[in-house]
Amino acid sequence: MVNAQLLELISASIIVSALYIQGQAYFKPTIYAQAIQSALISVLAFYLGFALNLIDYVILGVTIVVLRSFIITYFLFRGLKAKPGIRESTRGVASELVVNLAFFFLAVFILYYFVLGRIGLTTEAGAATLTIFSFILFFQGLFLIVTRRSTIAQIIGFIEEENSIVLFGILTIPIPFLIEVSIFLDVLGLVVITSLLTLQKLEHTKLEELMG
Amino acid sequence: MASDEALLIETIVQVSAAILLSPLYQGIHEKLKAFVEGRRGPSFLQPYYDIFKLLKKEVVVTENSSFLFIYTPYVVFGIYLLISFLIPVVYPSPIYLTPTVDFLGGALLFSLASFLKLISSVESGSNFVALGVSRVLSFIFFSEATLITVFFGVALITGTNNPYVTLQYLTQDISHYLQLDHVLITVSFFMLWLFETGKLPAESSGLSEMGMIDDALLYEYSGKLLGILKWGSYVKQYLLGSVLLNVFLFPWLLQTGPLGALLDVFIMFLKWLLLILISVIINTTLAKLRLFKVQDFLAVSFILSVFSLIVTVLIG
Repeated sequence: MVNAQLLELISASIIVSALYIQGQAYFKPTIYAQAIQSALISVLAFYLGFALNLIDYVILGVTIVVLRSFIITYFLFRGLKAKPGIRESTRGVASELVVNLAFFFLAVFILYYFVLGRIGLTTEAGAATLTIFSFILFFQGLFLIVTRRSTIAQIIGFIEEENSIVLFGILTIPIPFLIEVSIFLDVLGLVVITSLLTLQKLEHTKLEELMG
Repeated sequence: MASDEALLIETIVQVSAAILLSPLYQGIHEKLKAFVEGRRGPSFLQPYYDIFKLLKKEVVVTENSSFLFIYTPYVVFGIYLLISFLIPVVYPSPIYLTPTVDFLGGALLFSLASFLKLISSVESGSNFVALGVSRVLSFIFFSEATLITVFFGVALITGTNNPYVTLQYLTQDISHYLQLDHVLITVSFFMLWLFETGKLPAESSGLSEMGMIDDALLYEYSGKLLGILKWGSYVKQYLLGSVLLNVFLFPWLLQTGPLGALLDVFIMFLKWLLLILISVIINTTLAKLRLFKVQDFLAVSFILSVFSLIVTVLIG
């Protein structure tokens, strides 16, 4: 049987890792935190695989840990161009964290009371309310993209969104389909785009975006 | 009649332990910290010596200050004395005056004491104190919010706003203690305790230090008034630390009955040694924070407490 408290604990750790990424200005620990976040999602998949006796979850876990914790981390470090200790100038961690909190707090409550509460979602693992964590992670990824200027932080925001989709999918979508979509997005969307974008330029400013 | 006498003994034990033993824990903390740093350090009774010395000294009051400056230390000490009746800081069952206010009332009393301290120190008219007050205010807008959110969290977990019920709920079953919302709220309150009692590796209490936070408020106080304020801050540290231990971090082992109350004083001493050890490890192993990082630290504590509320309300 699936232990709901263990699922809660792993999901909450994923959210805490996202908060850490939001508050961290240095690139190196941010990339490692992203790898840990992806590894935590694969731990969740492994646990469900063993608890429900389904090999599909294990395959998904292996895919996530290989693609996100190792390959994407490698490409992000390559994009960093071996400059240790570089960081992005952030505008006040405390205010960013509080705005982030207000953003996901409000979004999640609206989603919970107006959407999830009405459609009567059921999951294979029997933990429908846990999908709330995936929404929190999604909004945190979105907020990271909005608040940061550097390509690496924005890509990590995108990975967080990807992670949130997998987290949601683990509990709701048929797993074989999720594995295919996940690999497609990882290989094409993340590895190819990550390597291209980080080679192109490290930081995006408003003026650059407006130039033709 | 017998139960009334028992209640009286339990009350006397709890309140006198909170008032009389609180400087001891500060002394032990300083001694242990000095030991880890390879210094001899002051005696563990040093806070008592300081208080006695200050209580005997003459009070000097600036010309600009009003009656608030003179009487607030007594009121603040009185508030802490009242709080020691309300929350389980030594004895795990309600005592005299406990039903006066609930957990949130306790939090509001702490806030009232902080507010009065700020107002009275500004009354001195010193520029340095005004700087200190503005610094304190730039931090406590987070810490007070966290304190109230944490107490909301406790209320939501147990469905009541009584810390004694929380204590019993946690000791009933280990699964209650390991609930995610309780774990998050404990971490949050521990971070808050580190800030509120000056145990963060950002603060220093020397006279000419730029890192002082709480001590800047006492800058113009002298003699008996300073002694009372210092004693009050030791009591506040004891009250918050004991709530952290008994309601959040380590709620077990407390005994009931008059003899149990006496035993509880010793048990609390052992629990406090554990808390002091954790605090000393944090203080001596972490690099000193830059002062403005305290806001980030408190923001994390606040977010964890609100996240705990989300988990309690939505996940259940």
